[in-house]
Amino acid sequence: MKLQTSTYSQAINQALDQSMKIDKNVKIFGQLVDYKPGVFGTTSGLVEKYGKERVQDFPVAESLMTSMSIGMALNNKNKVILVHHRIDFMMYAMDAIVNWMSLWRFKSYSDTSLSITIRAIVGKGWGQGPQHSKSMHSWFANLPGINVVMPSSPFDAKGLLIESIFSKIPTIIIEHRSLFNDKQKIPQDPYRIPFGKANIICYGNHITLICIGYMSKLAIDVSKYFKSIYQINIEIIDVRTLTPLDKNTLIKSFKKTKKALILDPTWKSYGASSEIISVLQKHIQNNKSYSLDRISYPDSHTPMSQKLEKKFYIDKNLIIKKIKKILKIK
Amino acid sequence: MFRSKIAKKNVYLNLFKDMSLLRSLEETLAKEYHPANQMRCPVHFCVGQEAVPSVLRFFLKNDDYVFSHHRSHGYFFSKSLPLQKLVSELYGKQGGANKGFAGSQDVSLPKKNFFSGAILSGSIGVAVGKALDEKSRGTKNVVISAFGESACDVGLFWESVNYSNLKKLPIIFLCENNNYSVFSPQSKRQSGQSIFKKVQTFSKRKNSFRVDGNNVFDLMKIFDKVFSLIRRGHGPFFIEAMTYRISSHYGPENDYDVGYRTEKEVLYWKKKCPIEKLKNYLLKKKVLNDYKIKSIEKKCKKLILNHILVAKKDRFLNVNNLERLNYDLKKTNKNKIKNLLKPVSDTNSNNNFIIGY
Repeated sequence: MKLQTSTYSQAINQALDQSMKIDKNVKIFGQLVDYKPGVFGTTSGLVEKYGKERVQDFPVAESLMTSMSIGMALNNKNKVILVHHRIDFMMYAMDAIVNWMSLWRFKSYSDTSLSITIRAIVGKGWGQGPQHSKSMHSWFANLPGINVVMPSSPFDAKGLLIESIFSKIPTIIIEHRSLFNDKQKIPQDPYRIPFGKANIICYGNHITLICIGYMSKLAIDVSKYFKSIYQINIEIIDVRTLTPLDKNTLIKSFKKTKKALILDPTWKSYGASSEIISVLQKHIQNNKSYSLDRISYPDSHTPMSQKLEKKFYIDKNLIIKKIKKILKIK
Repeated sequence: MFRSKIAKKNVYLNLFKDMSLLRSLEETLAKEYHPANQMRCPVHFCVGQEAVPSVLRFFLKNDDYVFSHHRSHGYFFSKSLPLQKLVSELYGKQGGANKGFAGSQDVSLPKKNFFSGAILSGSIGVAVGKALDEKSRGTKNVVISAFGESACDVGLFWESVNYSNLKKLPIIFLCENNNYSVFSPQSKRQSGQSIFKKVQTFSKRKNSFRVDGNNVFDLMKIFDKVFSLIRRGHGPFFIEAMTYRISSHYGPENDYDVGYRTEKEVLYWKKKCPIEKLKNYLLKKKVLNDYKIKSIEKKCKKLILNHILVAKKDRFLNVNNLERLNYDLKKTNKNKIKNLLKPVSDTNSNNNFIIGY
């Protein structure tokens, strides 16, 4: 298998390009998708190859764009990809997603399916402030009939996006903008990563870090620190898809290490971390060596100023401190 | 529009039969709704609004699409779909169009291109998507997006009108203006000129019309014009059909006690009943007589009662895994793209214990 070094955004671009080449019914809609810079480079070059009919700029009407995708995808006619530059704008499409898309299959007793992929970007960091930085994955993971995917590496971004495009279940892919320049060697050919398979990034036996989205990047740094200083092996699991959630892998790891820390890049209360904790807590035996905890954002909107923003987001030191507390390292 | 006088008479006779059947469906169902309480879902009857869907039925082809609102029975009928499936759906039985998963306001027959939904204006956006797809594939199919004037309170409607005009889509926005959003009249909710005039401002070509929605002759004329143009690629169109709901917003009971409309107002519209109007015409033309009318009405009622009987006898579907039903039941992976779970190499780190990255 031929490999090439690609950034996260190049990996997305490859996934889109290759999917459009494989199937002429793959269509992309989104604001500015047919301009040279595209959406952070992810859609660049597509309109030249596949034409304006398949790569369409759209009015600033997120609500219509999203409900329209349902009509486009009806009767398996098209595989539709929607792009939202910021997930915050996608909130105009809540009716389409919640009242129509998610239950379309259900209310027809599985007579219909929708191949729709919504790419939504989170503008974390650099003063993006409260209206450009929400993650919202917990909201959508709560909704039946939708898959929620959070790729954290170029390899995952390509494979999960292709899987989603050819899947028959509406999927929301949440991409953190801070990942877009990350580089990795990935296969040139198209490939799929099946949903519901968590990625065990590294094996360990002292504690499991369960990561959502870009959190695994921090976790890798943290694990290197503990390995080199304390000879402690941390197991890192990237959930990859929140729905479907790979419960078995999480449970297996938790049973092994007896300690799990969930890193969830969104508000704490009622979030994905709460769900994962409730899945794992059933496996706590009557033994004091078990520990189950989480780190997430405070229940607050994101401040803009550099100083407050830094305080708001999760950083390495916070994770290290927490792990030391759990492992009773002084 | 008609090849001969006989053809014309036949069309109007069939239209009368259709409207009578629709009226009979609604009135018979209404009688069965309470106190029997076996149709356990919100049902919005369309008594008084039979003309628009019945005339529409005359123009629709198999491959055309209909996206209806919550008052869906008329549009189900307009697509010439088996009424048994509708009635059984209201009873929640497995013989229903959606095996009891949708009910009256969400009933659909996807393979017959019929859809509906209860959240106002939501289906308009879906219909626009279908119209864009039909246009890009170069078909002659027409997409009907049907709704009440309340849907025009919603922003999505205006987004849809704008985009359809921009892309010249083969869609007919069919607005049945019955003046009320539940109890609230249009004048209390909307400002400025009438809806069809506002919609007209989106196009230089005359493509937005108002019509008496209780007058089948006027409706036939306007639909004939619009359908022939749209099948030749001249979409979109907006039709505002002025009509009135004799039945209450929901269910069979009258809602005079709410005080939002007077009995006098309802009486006025009862006199303007679309079926009565057509009946008088056909009597005058001697196409119908009292005996024939009675026999049509009897036949309709018998048919509907039979549907109800079948629905009542039918069984409820039992589903063990509801959760799975929300996702893919038949997982087929036709695509031959390779499955990979882990990256084949790692460039981010030199630590060999890191397997994933």
